[in-house]
Amino acid sequence: MDFISHDEKTIVEMLRIINIPEIDDLFQDIPEDLLIDSLDISNGMSEPDVMDKMKEYGTKNKIYPHSFLGAGCYYHYIPSLVDFVISRSEFYTSYTPYQAEASQGYLQAIYEYQSVISRLTEMEVANASMYDGSTSLAEAAIMASIITGKNQVILVEGVHPEYIDVVKTYCWGQNIELKITSEDKLNDLLTDDIAAVMFQSPNFFGDITDVLALSKEVKEKYPKCLLIQCMTDPTCLGLLKPPGKTDVDIFVAEGQSFGISPSFGGPGLGIFTAKKKFLRKIPGRLVGKTKELNGDREGFLLTLQAREQHIRREKASSNICTNQALCSLSALIYLVSLGKTGLREIANQNFQKSHYVKKAIALIPGYKILNKKPTYNEFIVKCPNIIGLIRECKRVNILPPLQVSTYYPEMLDIALVCVTELNSKDSIDKFIEAAKLANNNEEESAN
Amino acid sequence: MNYEFPDNLKFTKTHEWVRIEDNIAIVGITDFAQHQLGDIVYIELPEKGANLERQSSAGEIESVKAVGEVLMPLSGKIIDINSILTDNPELVNSSPYDSGWIFKIEFTNKLEIDDLILVKDYKRIAEAEN
Amino acid sequence: MDVNDLLIFNKGNELAQQNFVPKLDIEPEKIEEILPKNLIRGELRIPDISEVEIVRHYVKLSKINYGVDSGIYPLGSCTMKYNPKINEIVARMTSFSHLHPLQDENEGALEILYEISKLLGEITGMDGFTLQPSAGAHGELVGLLIIKKYFETRGIVKNKIIVPDSAHGTNPASAKMAGFSIIELKSNEHGEVPLDHLEYAMKQGDVAGIMLTNPNTLGVFDRQIKNITKIVHDHGGLCYYDGANLNPMLGICRPKDMGFDIVHLNLHKTFSTPHGGGGPGSGPVGVSNELIPFLPIPCIVSTNKGIVCNYENHESIGRIKAFWGNFGIVLRAFVYILSLGGNGLKRVGQIAVLNANYIKTLLKKKYHLPYDRICQHEFVLSDKYLPNDITTEDVAKRILDYGFYAPTIYFPLVVNGALMIEPTETESKYSLDKFVDVMNQIYDEAKNEPYKLKNAPSNTPVGRLDAVNAARKPILHD
Repeated sequence: MDFISHDEKTIVEMLRIINIPEIDDLFQDIPEDLLIDSLDISNGMSEPDVMDKMKEYGTKNKIYPHSFLGAGCYYHYIPSLVDFVISRSEFYTSYTPYQAEASQGYLQAIYEYQSVISRLTEMEVANASMYDGSTSLAEAAIMASIITGKNQVILVEGVHPEYIDVVKTYCWGQNIELKITSEDKLNDLLTDDIAAVMFQSPNFFGDITDVLALSKEVKEKYPKCLLIQCMTDPTCLGLLKPPGKTDVDIFVAEGQSFGISPSFGGPGLGIFTAKKKFLRKIPGRLVGKTKELNGDREGFLLTLQAREQHIRREKASSNICTNQALCSLSALIYLVSLGKTGLREIANQNFQKSHYVKKAIALIPGYKILNKKPTYNEFIVKCPNIIGLIRECKRVNILPPLQVSTYYPEMLDIALVCVTELNSKDSIDKFIEAAKLANNNEEESAN
Repeated sequence: MNYEFPDNLKFTKTHEWVRIEDNIAIVGITDFAQHQLGDIVYIELPEKGANLERQSSAGEIESVKAVGEVLMPLSGKIIDINSILTDNPELVNSSPYDSGWIFKIEFTNKLEIDDLILVKDYKRIAEAEN
Repeated sequence: MDVNDLLIFNKGNELAQQNFVPKLDIEPEKIEEILPKNLIRGELRIPDISEVEIVRHYVKLSKINYGVDSGIYPLGSCTMKYNPKINEIVARMTSFSHLHPLQDENEGALEILYEISKLLGEITGMDGFTLQPSAGAHGELVGLLIIKKYFETRGIVKNKIIVPDSAHGTNPASAKMAGFSIIELKSNEHGEVPLDHLEYAMKQGDVAGIMLTNPNTLGVFDRQIKNITKIVHDHGGLCYYDGANLNPMLGICRPKDMGFDIVHLNLHKTFSTPHGGGGPGSGPVGVSNELIPFLPIPCIVSTNKGIVCNYENHESIGRIKAFWGNFGIVLRAFVYILSLGGNGLKRVGQIAVLNANYIKTLLKKKYHLPYDRICQHEFVLSDKYLPNDITTEDVAKRILDYGFYAPTIYFPLVVNGALMIEPTETESKYSLDKFVDVMNQIYDEAKNEPYKLKNAPSNTPVGRLDAVNAARKPILHD
């Protein structure tokens, strides 16, 4: 199936009009020795045959009914309205809305997305999306460097390890010096040459920082230093104090929790926001509201395009073109479907359930909660036998928490547990049971 | 071509105009340049007090469809900037040589003035680019 | 009518529903016990809105939006081909959509990533692939970082990249993000890269490589391509292929054979994944054997233990995105390739070029065609001889009045008043003829009733918008 509509007669007719004897002559500009006869790929398949094949691949992935795994990708309930809206083909088969008059539907939706993100985060400007949380953080570092004219940034430990790696790569590309430090050594590293301090809260290990206090601490001595916060599960903003109220200069987040299924890690959604004074240095697309040239009606269009690559070319601060538009539409529908009441309640349930699990685990001998700060839906726990825990979880059909040693080999026997509103009491009880059983098989502990 | 080319000014190849008053140079972009850019939406002004070399970037001018750099015609210190342009960038379109001036330099090297272009030579450059 | 009345936020009320929240089945504590008061937010200014209002609102918005399911979308260099629905069904299968990136027991997903790398390798001739980049521009950045690393490991300093003046804007922007500066080469009168200028630029000794699109943005296949890549290689540089225009080359010709070392593909162009109104896309990068060690981690490799992830590439440029790339998009492209097969892919190349030449032949009767030769998947018209001061923009806006989407305008920059048209292979003759009819009618209007174009669009929800004020005084949220 090639989705081509022409039959042979039509092709002959078209060749006649072009005045070309046969199809091969259309490629007369290509040197003979570059032409290939055919590709070494089997013939195309019909729909039912393709479905069969894909189902086969699917059976090799195990999908668990319950999960305690987070670490940057989260299971939250996706309202039915999300898929309904993004399946409207006028949305998903459309292109970037450069011809504004024929794209008012999508442009208004993106404007609403920018607005709802502004309302949620209380940040003054939100763009139309970036690729994901990790690249948003990297581009935030570059943006800070351009704004301040300085090429050193500090990153506080606790940022998701994969995000740290991405930031490292981008900084290397731009010759920006990246200094990674623990929170207590931050003050020692701060100087006038630092463009920005980057941190994550809630962080990879679950800790929630008092951002307002951090802000004051940094900016009292270095008022020109920018504060960049990232977040991997922004559903916490249903209850948590938003970055716009804590003097954060650039706030980025992974928006996958807002109505986007995990899908093996992508596509995600890079939420990118900043203070209004940095507007002209923000990467990515922006939709603005305006009036007709010869009329009174208001409409929407892509604006401030002179920041972007198609105009600035090598003078652009970012090369981003295609973004995550359809995912931003998912996030918009998620947020308006839940509304303030639903968002508050989701955040509340995440706090409540993970707190419940924290308390229950702490009661099991051998287990120790390691977080000293408040946490949202993730926390780290020292286990007597992490291999056993993983095995026991799988035995009762639970997707086990992350072994932190995957990223930090020195952090042995530590699990990063994630509990969301989708974890029923039943699944929680099963998990606690699994933890107890694992404890009884201590001789299996990490080798 | 019906652009304005005032003969009391000096010019650069990169479409800046310069008016010398004692040891100060007042700088803007030419009528031709503003026309090429189209309706100007934003001007990034240089920082007051900055010391910049000749031909280095002193700011940027954005229209809806394009961006142009404003280059220093002479080396020196930026002693004044036309801050009205922040809220009224259209002045550069409507009055490029007058209220649309962009910044003032206290120049450091008189000899550089000899490298500036006279109006008749600038006219030719603009004509060629047209 | 004030659009603000129509924003979704104005449709809320105090009817606080919790239809999308599960019932809390544990005994809750006071939130202040869990989260200190000073960390709790104040007001949350997102209204509660009824489900019916939400559905009506977005259905209404979808109806004033144009997608490729609505009609022809002839945007040059975008390859707006039909988005097969089977791709959407597969992407929503829970065995894929519910898979967590960090779990094991994911052999199905890893196999798909591995298989598609092999297929893309066969299509392009390249030896190794990364599926991580989220978009073409992201792929360009990856490719350029690979070039950067290649020279770094050899202790050679080369900090310039050559880009022709017909290149997509992302090319120079990506080069800058990788720390390079640009040398721009002017295309010659045939729209091709002039070899003597290229030779001269390479002789300066500090050029790391060249970024090329072939066929280029004029729709022209550069007949000198093998000489171009040879000159660059002879002077120690690498050749990067911008795969945005790969569609006409499917099953016809391969970038590896043209002499390229690095290639990026746009799955949301050539491989039918939906544009989604601007994304998400996917920009896999393929490299020659020599450059495989520099690919971003993790790499998917086949071992005797099965398909595994390799984090051990010590010369890798590092990580460029969290997790595995836009798997949902890669999955759709995989289904597309399976659906087409080798025979179908070749047909795509042939018919894409047939369709473009067909409408070019018909349109050049009235419109100016600066490069009058066989084109590949796209071609460029200009407004040069249009009567009554009609511009490309006027034509584009009038096309909207006829219910079609306009082609790309004012790009590539090498043609003044460019109108860049790419029909793609999935347009029927009926659809192409309708588009040509409309373009001809518009030309006649330009001659006899130019006010219709000057006032266009008049048949759309809004007329031409004030872009100048939007940029002077930006209003970016309500």
